[in-house]
Amino acid sequence: MRLISILSNSKAYELLRTLQRDKSAWTGLWLLIVFGIIVLFAPIIAPYGPNEAIPSLRLAPPGTPGHLLGLDHQGRDILSRIIHGTRLTVITAVTPVVIGALVALPLGLLAAWYERLGVLILRTMDVLFAFPMALLAILVTSSLGAGIINLLISLVIVLLPYYVRIVHQAAASQKALPYIEALRVSGTPVRTILFVELLPNVAPAAIVYGATVLGSIVVTAAGLSFLGLGVQPPLAEWGVMISEGRNVIFIAPHVAALPGAALTLFVIACNLLGDGIRDALDPRARATLSYQANLSK
Amino acid sequence: MIRLIINRIFATILVLIGVSFVVFAALHFSPGDVARTILGLGATEERVQALRQELGLDRPLLIQYWDWMMALLRGDLGRSISLGVPVSEVIFDKIWASLLLMGASFFLTVSFGLLFAALSGGYHRSLMDRLITLLMLLLASLPPFWLGIVLLIIFGLKLRIFPISGVGAMADDATLYVVAMHLILPAVTTAASSLAVVARVTRSAFIDEMGEPYVQAARARGLSQRRIISIETMRNVLPSFVTIAGLQIGFLFSSALFSEIVFNWPGIGLQLYLGIVQRDFPVVQGCVLAIAIVFVVGNLLADILSIALDPRRRG
Repeated sequence: MRLISILSNSKAYELLRTLQRDKSAWTGLWLLIVFGIIVLFAPIIAPYGPNEAIPSLRLAPPGTPGHLLGLDHQGRDILSRIIHGTRLTVITAVTPVVIGALVALPLGLLAAWYERLGVLILRTMDVLFAFPMALLAILVTSSLGAGIINLLISLVIVLLPYYVRIVHQAAASQKALPYIEALRVSGTPVRTILFVELLPNVAPAAIVYGATVLGSIVVTAAGLSFLGLGVQPPLAEWGVMISEGRNVIFIAPHVAALPGAALTLFVIACNLLGDGIRDALDPRARATLSYQANLSK
Repeated sequence: MIRLIINRIFATILVLIGVSFVVFAALHFSPGDVARTILGLGATEERVQALRQELGLDRPLLIQYWDWMMALLRGDLGRSISLGVPVSEVIFDKIWASLLLMGASFFLTVSFGLLFAALSGGYHRSLMDRLITLLMLLLASLPPFWLGIVLLIIFGLKLRIFPISGVGAMADDATLYVVAMHLILPAVTTAASSLAVVARVTRSAFIDEMGEPYVQAARARGLSQRRIISIETMRNVLPSFVTIAGLQIGFLFSSALFSEIVFNWPGIGLQLYLGIVQRDFPVVQGCVLAIAIVFVVGNLLADILSIALDPRRRG
């Protein structure tokens, strides 16, 4: 019973209730849950293995009996590859978003606490800001070498400046509050102030940013694999599948078009939920909404 | 205002120095031998040794950076492995096509972004507002490399309205019409998601303005909704519009990269891709540096413009 009351009073629950009233955010959340189920149970859902090939049916169009979405240039079932590909596509995007937040939290907290160190950290981030997202990722992966691990590293580096700036802002505004002053005066070690007291108050800002940026990171991750810098063929991943399909668009456009449609649907789901979370937590947006609600009364 | 602008220019120069260091360091932090990375896998051991001497790889990193930077200021970016010509030549050869594509995409982004924002924000909660919001959600979510392929299939292969490769656009005898026809699909691909972001943010600005007393006053004076949107509120929406449009430059660069590849558009992005595929590291380095510089300078210009447009910051 106690657990339920904690849950029902917690901020996360409150956020969920707000999202429930927002029809588009709720749709996004459900779509993502469906994608999550596909990630977990891909081998059970998919009718064929990701690299199971039937050469005689190469490039067969959608609607071929037994192959709803047709077959690719090697005779692999496209529906099955899209379902299997959900795994790598989602993992290569979610992992850097999570790791990026974990790396940025201590950096941003330290930057807010020690001002000189902060200047150094923030100026370094400014330099990373000077690269368009995809370009920085390309620079890192092309120097480290193609592959999934390097793809993840490059995406963490791409995300870092945004995360650090947000954590720093949140921590700097908290730092001025009386409770921190009280802790400092009472002789609490800096370590405790930063990672026990401040951390829980700045983490939500990072989490919200992570939720809103997921959509563009999915596109960047798949884009790098499309360029041949991330996931490598013959692994099933949507960017790789689009890139492979590009070679046969003249004879079989569905091979490139279908995985991209899945990617777009996933990004739409991310953006719907991300926008909803931002609107729900941005007090200014909420104020505008209630203001309008009052006007219409 | 002048002081603010001078500060921005100074900060930009510092960022550019940092950018050049990152691009330099990317090569030196790559696993394996730098000389071998530069020369590619096909080079003989003697050539690798010779280049190692020439680059002074045994000297401290900062000194190497200084030398590289000095060469860079003279316009020397090294030699392309695959093409055998100086990288700077390659870049100056390709940058015009990229700037043309960027310019066209930026034009689409700001013009349609503002138009959609005014049509949806100015008529908040109308059917048109809902439809445009839905369309913008779709546009914002389309991966450029896929949108490009889909447009290519529909308008290039099926309907045969537009050419499927951008190479012809840069031919010496290309007329304005030919260039425009080649440009439309890549520019739409590049602009799509940025256009949607600009429209969405500017729409909120319009909605905020519509609630202001001066708009009610204008309405009381009997001004039409169209006039209120296009003249009265537009002036107050402009600063946030310019800021968000300026922020899109980076995204436009990222998307342009993909549309250049999909449409075979002979610009820096396609060259960068070829550099990656052929493991031509000097070309990759040069292209990344060129794009980053154009991006940083573009941001500076957008910043100065938004300072100039905002009376509160004009000082």
